[in-house]
Amino acid sequence: MSQLLDLVDLDNALQQQSPQEILEFAIKKHGNIAISFSGAEDVVLVDMAHKIDPDIEVFCLDTGRLHAETYQFIETVRNHYNIYIDVVSPDGQAVRELVQEKGLFSFYQDNHQECCGIRKIAPLRTKLHELEAWITGQRRDQSPGTRAQIPVIQDDRVFARPNGSLTKYNPLANWTSQQVWDYIRSNDVPYNALHDRGFVSIGCEPCTRPIGPGQHEREGRWWWEEATKKECGLHSTNIKS
Amino acid sequence: MKITLVKKILADGSPCKKCGDVLEKLESSGQMQYIDEIVVADEGDLSSAGMELARRYDVSRAPFFVVEEEGQEPRIYTVYFKFVKEVLDQKTSEREELKEIMNDNPDLDFL
Repeated sequence: MSQLLDLVDLDNALQQQSPQEILEFAIKKHGNIAISFSGAEDVVLVDMAHKIDPDIEVFCLDTGRLHAETYQFIETVRNHYNIYIDVVSPDGQAVRELVQEKGLFSFYQDNHQECCGIRKIAPLRTKLHELEAWITGQRRDQSPGTRAQIPVIQDDRVFARPNGSLTKYNPLANWTSQQVWDYIRSNDVPYNALHDRGFVSIGCEPCTRPIGPGQHEREGRWWWEEATKKECGLHSTNIKS
Repeated sequence: MKITLVKKILADGSPCKKCGDVLEKLESSGQMQYIDEIVVADEGDLSSAGMELARRYDVSRAPFFVVEEEGQEPRIYTVYFKFVKEVLDQKTSEREELKEIMNDNPDLDFL
């Protein structure tokens, strides 16, 4: 309980900090921490963290369906920063069973959750069991409908080991896409070539498309799915008394 | 050990669909016998027992489970299959568990 209160207070304090200050806090606090890097504009985290700790660990979730440009970009980042990147793959047998049962494009019929679960979430969970903390590039503005409550620091109960704890940091939570790109341009940070071709949010090749001016980046992902309203959240204004 | 299930009632008085699904799973699998108490988080009533628990443990979704054991900090589970596996020590389908995680955590879409 006291730990929980500490985390709530910490989040309130870190909300006022810059991404670099949040990263510095996280890296100093946890010896066993890694950045989840998607091969997109979250490269800013790698750049910032590398300036704090040149040996920062980075991992990528290789679903097996990424664009060739993304694989090339991961290599570019590895060489540019001379860092170790743990490229994590899904369980071959689980992928084989999914494909045998439902084919290679099942997500167009029954939504992306099952495929993402096997190709991305299972290996993520395995990786996170090695860590005491992780860092993501999640931002509030990526999908305003679902991400309004992204904290800067949180107790990650979903991926914590049984009877263990895991802390998740979202240093870019309060940054906008514009701020991310201003940082990339002003610091000469390398970026994924797909961005120059209209891709804003980058994931797996079959589930990502370029978008046009004025479109929200979420429209470039899983565009065939109906945007259904989630109802499992407890309304925040009711929780916070 | 004491296990409390918190289920939600929406602000308009309607039941939460996922809570209904989880309750049905608990009933059909015989796991309901392990639940000591079910309390309601009524979005229309800040002082309802479930809303109090959500505040106390900083939980932002429902349903969730509170597992209390003497001498230990309460453990909170927001993923039904994780609760079943770790607390009830029963076998679960990994594919179903992963789907539940994906459905309940749309922020994971952007990793």
